[in-house]
Parts: sequence; structure tokens; C-alpha cells
Amino acid sequence: MESILKASGIKKYYGKGDTMVKALDGIDLEIERGKFTAIIGTSGSGKSTLLNMLGGLDTPTAGSIRIGKTDLAKLNGEQATIFRRKQIGFIFQNYNLVPVLTVWENIVFPISLDGQKPDKKFIMQVVKMLGLESKLDSLPGNLSGGQQQRVAIARALASKPAIILADEPTGNLDSKTSDDVIGLLKMTSREFHQTIVMITHNPDIAQQADRIVRIEDGRIMYE
Amino acid sequence: MKDTKNMLNTLTRRSFSAGRIRNLIAVLAIALTAVLFTSVTTIGLGTYESLTLSMQLLKGSKSDGDFRNMTAEQFKALSDADFIREYGLRMPVGFLTNTDRHNIELDVMDETEAELLFCNPSHGSMPQSADEIVTSDLALRDLGAEPKVGGTVTIEFTAHGKDYSMDMVVSGWYEATNDQTSTMVAGTAFREANPDLFRYTYQDDREIAGTYWSDIVASGTVGLLDNMKNWSRSVGGDPEDMEAPNYLPGIVNEMTNQSIDPSILAMGTVFVILFIFCGYLLIYNVFDIAVMQDIRRYGLYRTIGMSRKQVKRLINRQALWLSCIGIPLGLIIGFFIGRAALPTVMETFSTEYKNIAVNVTPSPIIFIGAALLAALTVFVSTRKPVRKAANIPPIEAFRYVESDTTRRSTRRSAPGASLPRLAWSNLGRSRRRTAFIIVSLMLCVVLLNCVGTAAQSVDVEKQVDYMIRTDYSVVNAVSTNGQKGFTSREEGLSQETMDAIASQPGVTDAGAVYKNTKEDTNVTYDFGIIPTLDPTVEEETGLTSAATEDGFSFNLGEDGRPICNVYGLSETAVARMDLRDGETDPHALYRKMEQKEGLLAGVDVDRSDMSIQKVLDFVDIGDTITVYKNGEPLLELPVLAKAALNGDDEEIGYTAAGTFKIGGDGIYIYLPSDIYEELYDDPVVYKYAFNVEESQRDNMTAFLTDYMENTDPTIDFLTADSARESAEATQSMISFVGSLVGIIFGVIGVLNLINTVITTILTRRHEFATMRSIGMTQKQLTEMMVFEGLFYALGACILGLVFSLILGFTLVRGLVGGIWYFTFHFTILPALITCVVLVITGLIVPALALKFFNKGSIVEKLRISE
Amino acid sequence: MDIITLKNAKKYFGASPRMVHAVDGVNLTIEKGRFTAVIGSSGSGKTTLLNLIGGLYRPTEGTVIVDGIDLSSLDEDHLTVFRRRKVGFIFQEYNLVPDLTVRENILFPLALDNSRADMAFFGRLTELLGLERYLDSFPHILSGGAQQCTAIARALMTRPAIVLADEPTGSFDAKTSQNVAGLLKLTAETFHQSLIMITHNLELAQLADRVIRPEDGRVVSDGR
Repeated sequence: MESILKASGIKKYYGKGDTMVKALDGIDLEIERGKFTAIIGTSGSGKSTLLNMLGGLDTPTAGSIRIGKTDLAKLNGEQATIFRRKQIGFIFQNYNLVPVLTVWENIVFPISLDGQKPDKKFIMQVVKMLGLESKLDSLPGNLSGGQQQRVAIARALASKPAIILADEPTGNLDSKTSDDVIGLLKMTSREFHQTIVMITHNPDIAQQADRIVRIEDGRIMYE
Repeated sequence: MKDTKNMLNTLTRRSFSAGRIRNLIAVLAIALTAVLFTSVTTIGLGTYESLTLSMQLLKGSKSDGDFRNMTAEQFKALSDADFIREYGLRMPVGFLTNTDRHNIELDVMDETEAELLFCNPSHGSMPQSADEIVTSDLALRDLGAEPKVGGTVTIEFTAHGKDYSMDMVVSGWYEATNDQTSTMVAGTAFREANPDLFRYTYQDDREIAGTYWSDIVASGTVGLLDNMKNWSRSVGGDPEDMEAPNYLPGIVNEMTNQSIDPSILAMGTVFVILFIFCGYLLIYNVFDIAVMQDIRRYGLYRTIGMSRKQVKRLINRQALWLSCIGIPLGLIIGFFIGRAALPTVMETFSTEYKNIAVNVTPSPIIFIGAALLAALTVFVSTRKPVRKAANIPPIEAFRYVESDTTRRSTRRSAPGASLPRLAWSNLGRSRRRTAFIIVSLMLCVVLLNCVGTAAQSVDVEKQVDYMIRTDYSVVNAVSTNGQKGFTSREEGLSQETMDAIASQPGVTDAGAVYKNTKEDTNVTYDFGIIPTLDPTVEEETGLTSAATEDGFSFNLGEDGRPICNVYGLSETAVARMDLRDGETDPHALYRKMEQKEGLLAGVDVDRSDMSIQKVLDFVDIGDTITVYKNGEPLLELPVLAKAALNGDDEEIGYTAAGTFKIGGDGIYIYLPSDIYEELYDDPVVYKYAFNVEESQRDNMTAFLTDYMENTDPTIDFLTADSARESAEATQSMISFVGSLVGIIFGVIGVLNLINTVITTILTRRHEFATMRSIGMTQKQLTEMMVFEGLFYALGACILGLVFSLILGFTLVRGLVGGIWYFTFHFTILPALITCVVLVITGLIVPALALKFFNKGSIVEKLRISE
Repeated sequence: MDIITLKNAKKYFGASPRMVHAVDGVNLTIEKGRFTAVIGSSGSGKTTLLNLIGGLYRPTEGTVIVDGIDLSSLDEDHLTVFRRRKVGFIFQEYNLVPDLTVRENILFPLALDNSRADMAFFGRLTELLGLERYLDSFPHILSGGAQQCTAIARALMTRPAIVLADEPTGSFDAKTSQNVAGLLKLTAETFHQSLIMITHNLELAQLADRVIRPEDGRVVSDGR
């Protein structure tokens, strides 16, 4: 299998001298296309920082990240944004939906930002699979947490990105809803051949991944 | 209690220094409100003060009132009167007899009195020895001396039937407050040196010399007249009967104690409410935003045990501190703005009142009043945000997301999520705040447009037409003085003056106008009305006036018939008049009048529509008016025509004081010069009116100015150009004051907008970061915010234009309709210009704010809110 | 002696059909002076349970009695006074007042209540938590651990009937977590406080006298 993502020697330090925090301290990671990878680790282990690096939201102190054929370090701010909305789908713990947009508008928002026409057929397929057909005109504030997270998944999938990065997508959900959401995420990604990198606290969820990476104090402990 | 207070104080102080930008905006908001109040109160009160001072100068006294004709004992008793705070000593001697044109009254005064009567020396000092005097520069010049301390001057006067002539030393002098009369002040040493002069004989022979007068400053002006009359009676005087030997009048100075017009009060109230509302819009938003930003903080306080009352106290204390900085700042700035603006306002009044004195003192009323209003506004505005902060359930505060959109559960989705649409939705998050911003920006548009419409509606030509019919008009200075007016033969124009003018190049259509005076009591008119009620002798003119059943007052001649206002004029002058009824061809009319076949009657107009005032229309065409001379019927003149009179036909400009003092309420009779000269003994010219070729006008103005200064200081003149200037001054005053208020409203609106945009950026950082993380470029983010700003501005513009139209055609039209010198003329230009400015502001503010306040990486921002 | 008694306590959010049964009929008694850990996945209702006990919510149904006071009968202002006098809160994100120094933060709840601080107690507390040298510093210059110790001191300073800690070590690395939790347990024991702590961390839960595990709004296991 070809690798879709390759990170080498990633370091991220905050502060200076005595108070310097080594959030990431030399991470090497390669992720294959179409695989579901779970990243686990305690709070403060650096896993969220790593995910942000992979998504181009943050720049490493040292090391390089390549997604597909693109070296993220070579992109400036606006280029990184445009790369992100085309190639990466984000799913956050707190959903991060735009409160004033309807479900449909939220899903097509990144595509609209790109000035593109959304692929309606494809998106409706995703929407149906996630069970959101009846909610398309609702505002996020009126949805349950699980529904909101499903909208976020649909948004992440809508632009057919190369890779989906999920940061504790089930962190705010009860156990049953968590299972549903993870199941849907797995199913859709398999259906559409998506690569998923997901952070989770939950060992049960991590078990469902193709691969588990454990990070502790800024380093990869085991896989 | 002490511990809690200390802790809340510490907290207030520390959070205060933490939120710099927010506090700056809050202080600005409060200061601006105070500026609004102070500047407008300063202008208003300054106008009132200046007008009062000008009136006092005209009257020659700034006292609250005065007592006259007292004996020495009665004067002493003044010190016991409890309603008097301060009083002066005045002992009139009489008018000097060796003067030319300037009237000089010789009085013994103490310093208090001199101060109250505006005759304390500005150069030199009050008289000490018996031969020292203080008087005005004009008085000294009239007496042939120079205004110089230490100079000598000869004075002549008559008292107790004896002529006196004395050489006096000038111990000081002051600048004359008017051209006609000055007071010459001698000290009490003068009285001691001339006991004969100051014998009290008033009760026997009405000799003023020897009586004590006194101007007083009352401790309270309520019921002053009654107090004065009662006091007069208590010392054995008669305050009412002029004929009584013990006549001791107490007279209230109406210039100092003017009654306030209720309509002005009402207008003031409307403005105050408008300003409070405007301040409310701003301060409410500032505090609402501040509370919203800190809502998690309040949630935390509540969680660890702060009661609702304590939260309220905390925010109220912050409001108090902000007010303590903002209000004084606003008061000072507002005062200076107001004071700087005052002269422009006063210019409007300068044509109607001569010798206007611009005066404004930092009165505590202005500051206390404005401070109270500003504090009230802060109090009203902060109540709701404070309640909101105190009532938020602690746990909710932690996940507080501002959004009203949850009220609606669904909305029709757009095919894509366009930036304008997103921006539009964002406005709906806090509808109240959005409404406030739009309303405050809109107020600025509407106000400026209403002011623009009002200024546009000032009918300059109508005013000029009313004030003067020719290019130039030369009169005695009394005619341009609203308090005096032309009343006596000695105020007539001299033949030399008229000849000098006529010999100037470019003069055309020149004509002298004759007018009867208070001396012409032997020519009277019978037009069917013989007023008999309440006959009283007017002090100033010595004429007897009486009223009709309907309450009209006429001045009567020797035979008890009205003397009327009678003019003798040339045919050109008649041709310029506005002939309405009867024979309207001026040439034919003049011929007939010359043949003694009749006369031209004039009637006052209602200035709002220039129609003849029905109530003053005493005679009809064809009625016969009988002219009596020395009690004998001389002529029978039918009314041939009626003219609608303007200010120029009656006297000059806006003054009609002379005609009121001579004829009373009627009637105006116009005769050819020849007939007038035949009818009246010693006819005098009161006005010389003429046109001047345009190229010669500057020369003429220069000539007249020079002539007035150097040859004949008693004359004054009005030109069509100066009338136009004064009419335009009204226009610029309206524009100026209106724009000032409009711009303050605009600044408030823009400040509101800035505050909201900055807040939006700070509170929605997380959301912005989310959007950036899912692919919104910085440019698109800016675009979205610019759309938001634009929507605010456009909302304000659309509403502003609509309300400008509505209010323009209702309120403004109604207001200007009530004032004669306005002719309603709608304009939308000021609104359009304001809209353009607002739209540009709406575009720039978000772009700049985003640049300055949305710093830091996406990750940082994502973290901030988690 | 029982310091906390919950009888069929329920807390629902929202309205049907999207009503969330955050706490769905919990019966629980907790003895005075004990250290109780609450574990469970996100969304299991453990935070809501803690907030119910702390008087931040009133139960939708059932009764919550803390130190003899029935919370369902109190109005908002009385709940505030209850929280101030009976409950010490410790949060994952410390929630210190940034404008107050460490000393002021610790004394803040007392000041709000107009109570005189027992300075001897204050001295022992801050010594135990190792805060003496930070007393006049502002929170933001302190390490996370020290900030959380300040929050612990604040919670204990009022000598509350119960101390509630919601994932107090959630932001720390493993070592700091152990330290902070250890200090929390130590101080609670030293001053005989009833402590209830939510945690994700099973190792920390081991420190407790009793471990409660709610799932989907109900207590599914209760180990002593």
C-alpha cells in the first residue's frame, strides 16, 4: 500500500528555558491510504498537537509532513487553508458547526468556500447513510450531540478529502451514541475509501481501528 | 461586610485594568453622552444668558428691580428688607443741558449701583472727591473731551429750578453700551459738597434731585413684584398711583427676570429624551457586550458562591468607575465645544438685537445638569445587562453561545453557503444589539436629513423681502433698535445727510419717507373707532393710550382720537408697496391721493403666508376717514386701496417698536409727501430709501459707514445684502447646530459598530478558527465580516432614507410651517451623503478590526474557547 | 453518618423528543469523611450527577439531600448560599479568577460570605499544598499543578461539608496527575472532608475509598 501521509522527526516546543514544554518530541509516522488509525494517550500527551500538525493547523518546530505529494512546510497561510479544505476533513470533539447555518449549509460550507458546486448526488448518499435526510433544514442548535457529530462527519466527507482527522469525535457522547457514530464513520470511510486518523480516550473504540498508535509525553510509545 | 467590600473592590480594580480596550470604549461612550448633554446645554444656556445680558445692556441695568423716589429714611429701611440681597445707592440729578446728541444723566452712585447699571469705570477708578466723575467715552466726546483719566470736562444742568455749571475731573470712564444715553457718575462726596442740590422736595414739587433710588438684587425672584410693592407700602410709599405725592414704585427688571416660553421648555424636553435615548443605545450595547464577554467569569463567580446581588454590585461598581472618568471628561469637552459653537448661534439673533454680547460662563447648572443626565443614562442603560449577568445559571454560563437563532428550529437551506448569507445570519444572533446599532446609525441619517431639509427650507428671499424693499435704507439708529424705535422729531434725518447720499454716484429711485411722531398729537383720525378703556399715560412718549372693547390699544391725540401711524411718501415708494385691495395701480392711486380724493391704508400681514391679518383690518375700501387737526375736521378721505405691510413699510427690518409707540395697534395711513407736509407741522423724514447700481454698492456701503462714523453718528442703515446675510445666518445656525448633534449621533453609531465588530471578533474567535480550520481563507473571513458591517450600514441607510422621507414630510414640514421665514423645501441629499459615509465606514471598520484583533494561530484560538 | 443522600434523582435536559436523560434515577448515599471516585465515559452523566450534588442544578425529579438540606426545595438565592457554605468546587480548568492573587483567590469565597478567615487554617492548608511562595502571585504565572492546588485550597478554605472535583487532573501529565490527586486526598483526609472526584484515570480512582461508575444516567457499579 502507498502511504498517504508521512511525518518525520516532528517536534513542537512551547516556551523557553526552564518552562519549555515539549509537546511533541520527535514523532515519525506513516499512514497508508484507506486505513483507520487510532491515536490514544492521556490528556497532555501531545496527541491533539500532533493531529493539528497533520492537518496543517499548526506548524512544527522541527520535522516535515507530507500529505499525498504536498509538503505542508512549503505552503503559506492562505495556501495551507485552500489545501486543507480540499484535502483534509476535520471532525472535532465539540462538533464546531457554524451555529447560524443549517445542516445542509454546514455540510457544503467548505465546498462553497472554494467556489465549487457541491456534488449533490454524492453528498445525498452520505447524508442518507448518516440518517440526516430529515434534518437538512435544521439549525445545529436544535440537534442532539450525536446528530451534530454526524453532520460534522458529513461535512468532513463532502469534499472527498484525502484524509479525515478526527479529534475525540465521541468525547461528548454517551456510549451507545459513540458506538453508532464510530460505526457510521467506519462504514462511510470504507464505502468512500477514506483514510481516517482518530484520537480517542476510549479503548473500546480504539479496538475497532486497523492500527493503534499510543503517544505519551510527546513520543510514540507503541503501535 | 468590610471583607466583602474589599474583595469586590480589589476585583473591580483588577478587572478594570485588565479590560483596557473595553474600558476605553465604555469611557468614550459615557463621555460622548456627556459631551452631547453639555454642549447642547452650554449652547442653550449661553444663548439665554447672552440674550439676557444684551437686553440688560439695552435697559442699562442688570438688577432684579429698582425703587424710586425714596426719602433718606426710606432708603435706610432697605437694609432691613429681607428679600433684598444687595442694593445700590442712586441719586439722580438730571440730564446735562450742554450736550449735542448724546443724552447724559448725572447721578450720584455708590459702587454697587454703578456695577448694576454697567457704568463702573473700565479705565480709572470710581469718583472719590467732590469734583470727580465717571462717564462713557461717547459722553465725554459729546462734551468735547477725550476719554482720558484726569481730564476735565464742563457740565451744565438744571435742578430745583436753578442752573448749574461745574468743572469736573474725569476719575474714570467706560465704553458706552449704546449710542443714545450714558450715565455720568458722581460720588457721595459730590452730594456732601452740594447740599442744596440734594434737598428732598419731591413730595411738594416732584423734583427728582434729592430723591433716593436704588437698584436691588433680590434673594429670590419668586413673587418679587409683590414683595417690592409691599415693602413700598410698609415704608409709607404708594407703589401704584403715579400722581400721588408719596409715589414710590418698585419695578421689576423684565430683562433679568424673563418668563420662559413653555414651547421652548417642551422642545428642550424632547431633545433631552432624544439624547438620553441615543446615549442609551450606545451605553447599553457597551455594557451588554462587556457582560457577554465576561459571562463565563460571572458563571464562575456564581459557582463558587457569589450571590446575584454581589454580581450586580460588581458590575454596577465598574459602571460607576467608568462614569467617574467618562462624565467629567465629557463635561469638559462638551463645554468647550458648546462655547466654541455659541457665537455662530448668536449671530442669528444679532440682526434682531443690536449690541449683542456673547457670554457664557461655566455655570454649575450646566455641569450638574449634564452630569446628572449622563449618570441617569448610564443607570438606565446598564440595568438590563447587569440583570442578565446576575441571572445566568452558573453552568449555562460556561457554554454560553450567543445566538437567538435557536428560537427558530429550521430554515430553508440555500443551495450553497454564501458569505453574504452567512454574514446575514450572524446579524440575527443578537437581534436587540443589531437593532440598536442600526437605529443609532439611522438616527444620524434621519437627523442630518431633517436638519438639511429645515436649513434648505429657510426662505432667505422672503426674509429679505420682508426686511427691506430697496437696496439701501438710511434711518436714525433708534429705528434699528428693537427696544426704541423712531418716536420723536429730533430723531428725523437731516437734509444734509439726504443730500450727501443723493450726491453719491449710482443712486436711483431715492425717496424720503415722512412719519408722524409723539409731538404730532394735534393731527388725529376718525375711522369709526374711538377707544376709551383704561386710558394710561405712556411714560416714555407721554402719549395717552386707550383700548377698544376688543383689546386693541391706540394712542390718542389731544382731542381723544387716535393719532395713527401716518407716512408721507413719494410715488416710487408707493409703487414698491404690496397693494392688495381697491386701486392697485400705484400711479392712478398716487394721482387720486394727491387730489385729496382718498388715502392708502396699510394692514399688518400674517408672515407665515403673507396674507392680510383679519383682526387688524379695521377699515374697508370706501370707508371714509376723517382727518382732524387741532380738534377740527379738516379732510374726509375715503380708503382707496389697502397695502399688505412688511417691516420696511412700518419701520425697518424687523423693528416695529416706533410704530407701536406712536400709533399703537393702528392704523397705518400712507399719504403723498405733499399732502403730509401740508397736514403736519414740522414734518420730519424718518427714512431715506434708495436703490444703488450694482457696481456702486461697495462704494455706497463704504460711504455710509464712513459717514455714520465721522459725520452723523445718529444714523444707521440697512441694506438688502446685509439683510440677506442675516437671513443666511439663520440657515447656517440650523445647519451648524443640527450637524453638530447629527455628527455626535453618527459618532455614537459608528462607535457602536466598532464595539460590536471588535466584540464579534473576540467572542467568535473560536468559531472563526473553526471556519478557518475547515477551509475558510483569511480573505474570505474578512469578506464575511465586511458583509456584516455592510449590512449594518445598509440597514441604517434604508431605514434612514425611509424615515427621512416620512419625517421630512410630516414633522419637519409641520415645524417649519409654523415659522414664517421657512418655506418647506424637501431634500434627500444630506441623507444620501451620510449613507455613503456610513457604507464606507461599514466596509472599513470590520476589515481594520479583523486586522488588529484577530491575531494568533488557529490552534491557539481553537484552544482559547475550550 | 450520611452526608449525601440521593433518592431516585433525575435530571433531564431539553424537551421531548430530544430530551436528554442525563441522570436517570440515581439512588445513592455517601458517608461523611469518605473519598469517593466517580468514573465513567464522557456522556455517562457523571458531571451532571456532581452538579446535582453541588447545587448547580435542581433535580427534575427525586430528592437530593446534602448535609441535611433538601436542595430541591431551595430557590436560586438559597442555592447560592448553600454552595458558598457547604460545597467546595474543583474543576478541570481550575477556574481561578485571573485578576486576584493566589491568596485572594483562596480567600475569595469567604470574603463573599463576609466570614472571617481562620488564618491558622489558611497557613496549614497552603503549607500542605506547597503554595506558600506563590501567595502573592497571579495565577497565570503558576504551573498547572500549582494552579490546581490553589483551586483545591480555595475549595477547602470554607471548610465545606463536601468537596466536589470534576476531573481535577484532566489537563496534567501522568506524574503531575498523581501528585495533585495525592495532595487532594491528603488534604481531604487531614481536614476530614468528604471528597467526591470525577476522573477518567483508573489509577487515580484506586486512591478512593469507594468507586462509583454511572453509565447512561444510572449507577451501574458501586465498589467499596
